[in-house]
Amino acid sequence: MGFDLHFALSTIPTIIGAIGATLLATILSCLGASALGFTFEMIRRGGGAPGLAVRFLIDFIRSTPVLAWLYFLYFVLPFYGIRLGAMTVGILGLSLYYSGYLAEVFKAGIDAIPKGQQEAARSLSLTRRDTIVFVIAPQMLRNIAAPLGNYFVSILKATPYLAVLAVPEMLGRAFDIASETYRYAEPLTVAGILFLALALIVAYGVKRIEQRLLAAGRR
Amino acid sequence: MLAQAPHPASETLPLVRIVGLNKWFGALQVLKDIELTVRAGSRIVVCGPSGSGKSTLIRCINGLEHFQKGTIQLEGTALGRNPRDTATARRQTGMVFQSFNLFPHLTVLANCTLALRRVLLKPASEAEEIAMHHLTTVRIPEKAHAYPAQLSGGQQQRVAIARALCLNPRIMLFDEPTSALDPEMIKEVLDVMVALAGSGVTMVCVTHEMGFAREVADQIVFMDEGRIVVHASSRDFFSRAAHPRAQLFLDTILSH
Repeated sequence: MGFDLHFALSTIPTIIGAIGATLLATILSCLGASALGFTFEMIRRGGGAPGLAVRFLIDFIRSTPVLAWLYFLYFVLPFYGIRLGAMTVGILGLSLYYSGYLAEVFKAGIDAIPKGQQEAARSLSLTRRDTIVFVIAPQMLRNIAAPLGNYFVSILKATPYLAVLAVPEMLGRAFDIASETYRYAEPLTVAGILFLALALIVAYGVKRIEQRLLAAGRR
Repeated sequence: MLAQAPHPASETLPLVRIVGLNKWFGALQVLKDIELTVRAGSRIVVCGPSGSGKSTLIRCINGLEHFQKGTIQLEGTALGRNPRDTATARRQTGMVFQSFNLFPHLTVLANCTLALRRVLLKPASEAEEIAMHHLTTVRIPEKAHAYPAQLSGGQQQRVAIARALCLNPRIMLFDEPTSALDPEMIKEVLDVMVALAGSGVTMVCVTHEMGFAREVADQIVFMDEGRIVVHASSRDFFSRAAHPRAQLFLDTILSH
């Protein structure tokens, strides 16, 4: 049973039909993980009991499998009356899981900013919030554009996990075709190529953004 | 022999009053029983060997450093007592750092307008007008749209001075403003500071530039090992070198 190019091509429309779910899960998880990770890092920086709690939470998140989070959110939360759709759980799970990693990335990006920047902001009487928004965050983004982009690609590649919750994303759809036709090589190859294309697009976009950030006056 | 501080304008309310200031970094005491009064219009140069506490002192006046004992009041408002008073007191000061500390991701103009817009809540057009005024004061209006990395060190420091001036502080604090500069750029920064002094700006300046001190300062504070050893009028300090330790310091500094 060789590779049937004709069959492979015929699976493309079906698999691409699931690209919407893949992209939605990727984009919202990237946003969710970034927002959550940045918040975690800010609380951790604040220190005290909340900082300690977040420090523990981040370590906990990073040492548990992402599938465990997805199963937990999907199958355990309903016992407490919280019933969420498969896609919502998927986005929530990926956001939570990757927030732990992104918090570390944000930490490195902030640590790399010279201490004088915060002092200058303080001497200009900027509030803590304004200092974060106008001084720290932009410089942090410039420092971490590359690793942040890598994690965004990782999140894209993690979306097939959502197949366990029957979210109709690309790899799951490809596997459905395979199960129905008993031909695995073609749909899985097509899905792989589509993921490759998406990953290249994300990587290219990140590179462009990084260049624009760097163009605005390197120290 | 502790020289008495001269009070050229003794009727006016002091801008800064420091009483019994003591500060420790862990077990190391870096400021010891500091007493200092700065009146409007004063131009005080703080000098002394490295590690004498002069930068720490000026950073305390700006609220960048906490202290354990004593009080610092800016026009009667105490620093470090509660956040609101500290903010009010800090608002009176403008700070210029040794390493400029411009925001590298913002243009020169945006560096200057950020606090005008976010702290003083000025509309964009007015903020830019004020910023351009001060950039003209420091003789660099043509670089308004450049980024800090595109400027020389001297130009960056002049922008940093303009940025501090934008908030219209009652007192300008300079923490070794020329120490990170190449020799050929020191003059352009000092020239701006001389002009500021000439326009009546109150300043406290930590510097090793004794020529500047002689030309501009009306008072010299000499520190050693966390103490103010000499606080004298500039004329007395340079003519009689009020203290043997200060004389030794001057000899070392002026010998090269």
